[in-house]
Amino acid sequence: MSIFIDRSTRVVVQGITGGEGAFWTKHMIDLGTRVVAGVTPGKEGQSVEGRPVYHTVRRAVAEHQADAAMLFVPPRFTKDAVFEALDAGIIKIVTIADGIPLHEAVQIRKAARSCGARVVGGNTSGVISPGLAMMGMFPFWIERVYKPGRIGVMTRSGSLTNEVTAMIVRAGFGVSSLMGVGGDPVPGTRFAEFLPDYQADPDTDAVVIIGELGGTMEEEVAEAMEAGVFKKPLVAFLGGRTAPAGKRMGHAGAIVSGGKGSVADKIAALEKAGGLVADRPRLVGELLARALGRA
Amino acid sequence: MKLFEYQAKDAFAAEGIAVPKGMVCRDAASVRAAALELGFPCVVKSQVLRGGRGKAGLIRLVKGADEAERYAAELFSGPHDVRSILVEEAVDIGREIYLAITVDPEASTALILACAEGGVEIEELARTAPEKIIREKVDIDVGLLPFQARNIGYALGFDADGVKRFVPVLEALWRVFKMKDAELAEINPLFETKAAAGAAPRLIAGDGKLSIDDNALFRQGSSEPDRSHFDSDVAFEAAKEGIPYLQFDGDISLMCAGAGLTTVVYDLVNYEGGSVANYLEFGGPNYKKAVRAMELCLKNEPKVILIVTFGTIARADVMAEGIAEAIAKLKPRCPIVACIRGTGEEKAVETLKAAGLDPLFDTEEAVRRAVSLAKLGGKA
Repeated sequence: MSIFIDRSTRVVVQGITGGEGAFWTKHMIDLGTRVVAGVTPGKEGQSVEGRPVYHTVRRAVAEHQADAAMLFVPPRFTKDAVFEALDAGIIKIVTIADGIPLHEAVQIRKAARSCGARVVGGNTSGVISPGLAMMGMFPFWIERVYKPGRIGVMTRSGSLTNEVTAMIVRAGFGVSSLMGVGGDPVPGTRFAEFLPDYQADPDTDAVVIIGELGGTMEEEVAEAMEAGVFKKPLVAFLGGRTAPAGKRMGHAGAIVSGGKGSVADKIAALEKAGGLVADRPRLVGELLARALGRA
Repeated sequence: MKLFEYQAKDAFAAEGIAVPKGMVCRDAASVRAAALELGFPCVVKSQVLRGGRGKAGLIRLVKGADEAERYAAELFSGPHDVRSILVEEAVDIGREIYLAITVDPEASTALILACAEGGVEIEELARTAPEKIIREKVDIDVGLLPFQARNIGYALGFDADGVKRFVPVLEALWRVFKMKDAELAEINPLFETKAAAGAAPRLIAGDGKLSIDDNALFRQGSSEPDRSHFDSDVAFEAAKEGIPYLQFDGDISLMCAGAGLTTVVYDLVNYEGGSVANYLEFGGPNYKKAVRAMELCLKNEPKVILIVTFGTIARADVMAEGIAEAIAKLKPRCPIVACIRGTGEEKAVETLKAAGLDPLFDTEEAVRRAVSLAKLGGKA
């Protein structure tokens, strides 16, 4: 079992005829993802990797019963694309778009919640269950990173995911489901909202969160642990411990503002809730081994 | 993008919020002229993007033209990169209020923050007296409703007449927040003037912060950042290229890929006792811009350039070719430490070796090597 996506998930790719869309559609299929159709307005009748392309999501869903949508759509059209998918009844949406306007990100999250749907991203590499399926852009062929296993990973950063996950694998573990929630200030789905899925997943023994300065997602994880929503071991690695106040460190969401978002606060909250915090990528593997009684 | 106080106040005034009468000046003589026109005392305010200007001595109440001019000259030649000064009439202050609109990422709403004790930074309020902060969530599609504005007004201690004056101010601030795609629209302090005989107190924006969402700049046409929005010439050049860049004053130039990884390399350099000259990302859409990226780094005259990548979209072999090209073209004299992983890394290693580098595979090892080379003064 995996969370969010497996080989039965029926994926429609919005923006499938674009360079990035076509490239990653091939890789998603290669990994085993069940891509059933694509959508690009104006391009119905074409096909990509043998998958038929439709003008609208509504038609693709009617013909192929898709239940998930992977968006390779530029940021300024992402709101439209997400709402189109929601309107067609799709409840799992992943958007990689980097640069969704803030107010639209708020509208996207609000709409998804009111539909009982989940939007993952933007500004993410997506979602992968190594060896099974992915929605997004992961170099899963790099075996020292994307090795199947029993550790859940949630992350705000693509580049850091490769770095930290390589350390998880080096310590003898592998990954069950990796959820890239993304680096934006208003991600569609937040860390804590995936914790019940990981708790319920019999194939996940522990979860690693890869967070950073800014926002309150890590604090919410700590709250969920305190509330007993998540009881498995949790290891966190957080970037930006030495970042100066007021500087936005790369990601739009990575800034301490309004007195919230310092890494020190996040560490204190997570440790109080029983989480283990690694200050270097290498230590993530060691802490996992300790938490799972293998060290 | 953060706007300067005078720009924020222009936006507020355009929606009907009262602001003190003022003039923007770019040299000390104009400050003198503006002060004489506005009368004394008046307020001379540096237009810089940092917070805490009062404490840093960047704002002063002046009582005469000579004082105004002398102080302005100090500011323009001082260390804070002051490029413009706002001269404003002084306001007869009764009390100061905090008022701001931002977003609540968890609730997926807009969020109004208000406090009857304004003038203090919200960071400080959140730390010292969180219970005094009034919060009202606003549905971003429905918009601010009058009852919400009244709720806040009464919570701020206004009487019925006061609330009638306050509601239009908050409604105007809401319009600014929405129309300008703001991350933050803040009035701190919002002055309530002393009630003069026979006249009701007025509400006047004493300061203005307006931060526009970078991702919405494409539809905020008039708001292109210029040199005055950046810490350094190099930072401004990088922004024009679309290369994420932060200026620091250490001696190791980071030329990395991916925001998260670059931030962690920044941490690791600090852990090892090194210091960062600049933070630069040439990943994602910029992964073919290695030459330009290295050129920007070299402007800081670093002792070491530290390259760390672990690509997803960016292919390691293409980045390595870019680095080899940059070395051939720019012939940097400082040592380069490279740690390039990801798709095509075997080929990347060959390319880097051919370019005379000794590629590493472990981020922490690369950081340690960079820090020790920097301590040796950048001699390879």
